[in-house]
Amino acid sequence: MAKLVEIIGITHNPFLPTLMKAPAPDPVIVQTAKDYDWMRQKMTKARPDVLIVVASDHLNQWFTDNMPAFMVGKAPSIEGPAPIEIRAFGLAPYKAKIDTDIAKGIITEGSRLGVDFAFSDECMIDHAFTVPLNFIRPEMDLPIVPIWTNVMAQPLPKAQRFYDVGQRIREAVEALPNGTRVGVVSSGHLAVEVGGPKSSDYSGDTEFDRRMMELITTGDAQTLIREATFERMVKAGNVTPGFLNYVLLMGIAGGAKPTATGLEFPEVTAAMHYMDWEIDGGGAA
Amino acid sequence: MNRYQVNKVMRRVIQEPDCFQAFKEDAAAFLEKQNLTQQEREALIKVDYPTLYAAGVHPFLLNGFVNRVWTGDRGKLRTEYREKIAPFGYPDFST
Repeated sequence: MAKLVEIIGITHNPFLPTLMKAPAPDPVIVQTAKDYDWMRQKMTKARPDVLIVVASDHLNQWFTDNMPAFMVGKAPSIEGPAPIEIRAFGLAPYKAKIDTDIAKGIITEGSRLGVDFAFSDECMIDHAFTVPLNFIRPEMDLPIVPIWTNVMAQPLPKAQRFYDVGQRIREAVEALPNGTRVGVVSSGHLAVEVGGPKSSDYSGDTEFDRRMMELITTGDAQTLIREATFERMVKAGNVTPGFLNYVLLMGIAGGAKPTATGLEFPEVTAAMHYMDWEIDGGGAA
Repeated sequence: MNRYQVNKVMRRVIQEPDCFQAFKEDAAAFLEKQNLTQQEREALIKVDYPTLYAAGVHPFLLNGFVNRVWTGDRGKLRTEYREKIAPFGYPDFST
């Protein structure tokens, strides 16, 4: 069977790469660069053959003419972000092959396990994928399996569903008939508001951020699912539901406590954070 | 206001260079070809973001649209945007 070896969640804040290159970066941003480099090293040490990447699409590709809740990409290769995002945020592009055997395996096994994934043979990735991938695997040498979640267009699946889909992804991967080593990268964020009255250069709800990271750190998925309602997330910031990708990640981790987490508040952007699960000692296994 | 149709047009102006150019050159002529009401067209032509926000268009797309087409003082835009939409709180932006 295929084997999960490392699970990492980090922000996809599109301003972060530019903030890191500033002449005098915020001290928290300096620390984040070190933290994310540590995450990169941990993923390298875990020696994955493929990366499953769970992230959202900011209405760049999927829209409400035909909105999937959970979608697997199975095109031969994928790249992004779109030129508009490269221009707007000064982002680096990313290009990778897709492991179509694993992608199809997740779709097929997912259906058996109760998740009928939408799928796409022609797709691109936006900053929610390219930002974390450029931190975690800048070499662009591994095939990926992109999985999109709808965190942008209501009605959204609830936190419980994100957790359950994460569990099914793990079961689907472990049912695949080969010894592939699978790393998982997920990106999301904590409290964020875009285009609303609380839009700002810092976290709009540090209480939400601290509470959610505390529940992730202690592995308390059930309390987190109870508290991370749509209403509470939107109160924290109008596009905060991007946080739900981390709930899905907790599901992939099977309810285990993370090996490491971090949370800090810069003065120039939303909360910086990470979460990491080594599976069976990560690279040691 | 039909949120889906307005979101769709804002998204095209953000994403498609030809649509952005057409909007910039003659917004009324461009919007005439879109499936919009006169009220929706006027709000987009004037970049009347308080009206669009209050009607529940997607705030992420509204932010992108306003930033893409704004021709006024961008320094003031961010502060004024927040102040002018604040009275409307958090309208339902589902479609």
